Amino acid sequence: MKGKFFGFALAFLLGGLAHGQTLRIGVVGPMAFVQGEHTWYGATLASEELNQAGGIQVGDRRYRVELVRVDTNEITSVTDATTAVERAITAQRVDFLIGGFRSEAILAMSEVAADYKKVFIITGAALDGILAGRVDRNYERFKYLFRVSPNKSSDLARTSLLLLGEVVQAVRQLGVQRPRVAILAERAAWADPLVETASRLITTPPPQGYGAEVAGVWRPSATATDVTPELNAIRQAQAQVIYTILSGPVGVPFGRDWGRLKIPAAPVGINVEAQQETWLQATDGLGAYVATLNTLAPGVAITPKTIPFISKFQARFKRFPIYTASGAYAALHILAEALNRAGTLEADAVVKALEATNYVGPSGRIVFDKVHDVTWGPGYTTGLGVQWVGGRMQAFWPRDWRVGNQVVRYAGVRPYELPPWVVEAWRR
Amino acid sequence: MTGPLRVWSLPWFFLYLRHEVLALPGRAIALLFLLFLLLFPLFSQDPYHLRVLTLSALFAIYAASWDLLSGYTGQVSLGHAFFFGLSGYASAILGRELGLPPGLTIPLGALLATVAGVLVGLPSLRVKGPYLSLVTLAFPIIALGFIFLFPGFTGGELGLSGLARLGGSRLQEYYLVVGVMLAALYLMWRLTASRVGLFFHAIREDEAAVRMVGVNTVAYKLLAFGASAFFAGLAGGLYAHYLRVAGPDSLSLFTSIQPVIWTVFGGIATLYGPVAGTFLLVPLLEALRVAEEWRMVAFALLILLVMRFLPQGVVRGVLDRLEEECPRCKARNAFTRRRCRVCGVTLRVKEVRA
Amino acid sequence: MLAAVLVNGLVLSGIYGMLALGFALTYGVARILNLAHTAFYMAAAYALFFFLGKMGFLPAALLAALLVLLLAFLAYHLFLEPLREHEATVLIVTIALALLLQEVLLLLFGGHFRSVPALLPGFTEIWGVRVANQALLALGFAALVLLLTWAFLKGTRVGLAVRAAAQDMEAAELVGVSLSRAGYWAVGLGALLAALAGLAVTPMATLEPHMWTPPLLVVLAAVVLGGLGSLPGALLGALILAFAEVAVVNLVPGGAFLRTAVALAVLVLVLVFRPEGLFGTGFAEER
Repeated sequence: MKGKFFGFALAFLLGGLAHGQTLRIGVVGPMAFVQGEHTWYGATLASEELNQAGGIQVGDRRYRVELVRVDTNEITSVTDATTAVERAITAQRVDFLIGGFRSEAILAMSEVAADYKKVFIITGAALDGILAGRVDRNYERFKYLFRVSPNKSSDLARTSLLLLGEVVQAVRQLGVQRPRVAILAERAAWADPLVETASRLITTPPPQGYGAEVAGVWRPSATATDVTPELNAIRQAQAQVIYTILSGPVGVPFGRDWGRLKIPAAPVGINVEAQQETWLQATDGLGAYVATLNTLAPGVAITPKTIPFISKFQARFKRFPIYTASGAYAALHILAEALNRAGTLEADAVVKALEATNYVGPSGRIVFDKVHDVTWGPGYTTGLGVQWVGGRMQAFWPRDWRVGNQVVRYAGVRPYELPPWVVEAWRR
Repeated sequence: MTGPLRVWSLPWFFLYLRHEVLALPGRAIALLFLLFLLLFPLFSQDPYHLRVLTLSALFAIYAASWDLLSGYTGQVSLGHAFFFGLSGYASAILGRELGLPPGLTIPLGALLATVAGVLVGLPSLRVKGPYLSLVTLAFPIIALGFIFLFPGFTGGELGLSGLARLGGSRLQEYYLVVGVMLAALYLMWRLTASRVGLFFHAIREDEAAVRMVGVNTVAYKLLAFGASAFFAGLAGGLYAHYLRVAGPDSLSLFTSIQPVIWTVFGGIATLYGPVAGTFLLVPLLEALRVAEEWRMVAFALLILLVMRFLPQGVVRGVLDRLEEECPRCKARNAFTRRRCRVCGVTLRVKEVRA
Repeated sequence: MLAAVLVNGLVLSGIYGMLALGFALTYGVARILNLAHTAFYMAAAYALFFFLGKMGFLPAALLAALLVLLLAFLAYHLFLEPLREHEATVLIVTIALALLLQEVLLLLFGGHFRSVPALLPGFTEIWGVRVANQALLALGFAALVLLLTWAFLKGTRVGLAVRAAAQDMEAAELVGVSLSRAGYWAVGLGALLAALAGLAVTPMATLEPHMWTPPLLVVLAAVVLGGLGSLPGALLGALILAFAEVAVVNLVPGGAFLRTAVALAVLVLVLVFRPEGLFGTGFAEER
């Protein structure tokens, strides 16, 4: 009798250890939109990999990963988003949070996360101020916030300005001594510092700057549906390059109208809409030759993990991943590694472990800086420059990018191509 | 109340309760609701539930403020977010620049909203009806334009974040907001039940007739605008400090339209209407999260169907089935009664069997 | 610069004009402030997008217009007509309808931008300004539609009844106009105009489920500016606001985001001087 009982108890115990517990990860985002969708997909891919490997080892326990889908509706309502997060933490009892997209909403959502001391790894918004000014000034409250993607705005600026340099160089090769650059930036707070930085960089003589001219600055609304007035004015200002700082829906009308009116200026910069694989369809085929920075590009291996991730994603979800997908994927793996190191689920220890992250993911190497943001630079994460050529998204940067005594290049990167009508208009 | 209050005593209180409050289903429900609000935390202190109820309470203040102006006085405002958002921003900026606590900045913001209310009310002296509604619509949009013009001061499209908390815990915040709501509703009740309220009703029905009698409708309309803006501002300040962010969302068209939906759903030109509307619709929208992507579709359909069959609002629709008016003395009686509780007249004629 | 304002202003006036006229008809005759008007416009655009995947432009356009017309009649018959006395309720119902359309389209087509190929690709240069050919086509189409509508309203008996009801409901009823029939005609015509605006605009615009909100503000402003109950007023209002918008965008390149605010500021200013709009008929209290 006793033997049976002990045997049973032992089996139960062993079974318990074998099954382990579950770790609930809240995946937060506007699930009706592509950004939220891809956050979920990326997280799903990562969670399946982790579970197939037996779960996450924390101390002497193995945890299975369970994802909780939290639709924040943040694009429409910030209140909704904060309520969704509070519900996720209290009613749905998530242990950690990853995701987020809209900066205004993340500012509010992160207050809720900070209230409950829940680790929140951000994968979607670039506003510097989500971390800068909070994690440094009020470390005890905001130390639970981390950002895995995208690079913060000021870093995106650095990449996009490097892309601008490439295009200005291409125009120079046509025989134009001082290329004229038109700045087209959406009316948004994150774009203001970029406009300033760009204006300075453009006019500064080389080697610090590009030795070019600013043809003018145009600021349409982020939700504008028609930018023909701006484009006509840019044409009249005789610009050869358009530096775009667009993250909102205006990116699509811009591409469409620019292509339709064959404005003789090459667009490059930040155009989030042009990062979508539906770009050519959305612009009615007229968005060809538009260049923008992006996190991933087909066929470009930033790290050994890039191509396998893209292939797996495409095979599983039948579409090309955007930055929130690679971000969520990386976030989950980074969390798993940190939990491993910490050996406990206790928030403060996990934070310390996260700070020591050195993870190579599909978009680059992720190391956090003092304010828990992604470090930018060669050997870390910088993003790519892509252009729509021949009906496909193609990477053109970095292609022999020299920094100090380092040269950065990836296989699959091809030279930048000026739109034919720009060449025709300005060739000397 | 039947008769002036002469002596306050416990037996009198119970008599009052039994004959005046519990005698009518409507009033009984109101009492139950009040008790529910006050005692809810005894049943559940889940921060999520408290959050939903807190938001409902402050939106109820907002909706009631809209009703005060648009329902009672008939000056339909489609831009009420102007007062709501302006007050939130004012409170945030005062807190940031002068370091004042929310206890001071929120009333100050509400006072600023009052001034704004009178300013918005001025065009109403010339402009009427749908024209007025359009003018009110313009104000929050113009305000948004200013917000984006001076992003350094107003935080641009991200707003001002990191605002001070209302209380130390969700429970404290809950009681604070519910308390403010009850106080605000009481004040609004006193206002609408007074002579001033009577004039509001009259102005809505036929302003020309009221002016003919020599009443200064200008003063009353401006009073309505100011009072309405004050309470909307109060709600706006509470909202900003509850969310810890004062952003352009609070001035959006959607924010202007919401009190309209809540109030009309509950019942316009009443105080129970906006309260019922908010406490029904806000938690409902939350509960509909289970429907995932069908959430808003279900919400919109619900509103369509309820409005189609209960056009005077849910409360009126429900009360009309639960209560009856006495044909002689017009007092309301529960539908279960056969004789009027005030004058004794038979309420239902018994069928005569042939 | 002036050329750009003139050309773009005209094109925009065409679209806003169709929308404003339709809205004015619905308000003027059926006394319904139909906040779902631009949602019908959006529905027509999406319907065209959907049908274009299966057939040529003309049949797709016809089907789209018919679908929206049917939708409008259903909505009017089921929800709006029975609630006519309760103005506030009608307002909410139209808002709920618009919201419902938005969410259903979001579910069916997703939040991505959709586009429809232009009928006339390429551009033309007019006075140094490059204008998309499709925009010129839309302008021509708008002019045609407005002319036909005008002919209908002035030349037919039904049109007369509709105009009479829009000017003064009680008097119209006194002379034998069936208000109910006029109401149905107005609603139908209004929805048709909204649908046609949607069809004209689709090949140049991007479709997304929130595209109904910005034009709604402009349309409301245009109709009030011109004076409620006045059909030519609505058109004039649309013209003024379209030009105001285009002027802001062209003359103040850093201030393009202010265009709605400026349009509404214009409205407020006009109303201060003419409280009933430019051609508004002063309403006697209608019971």
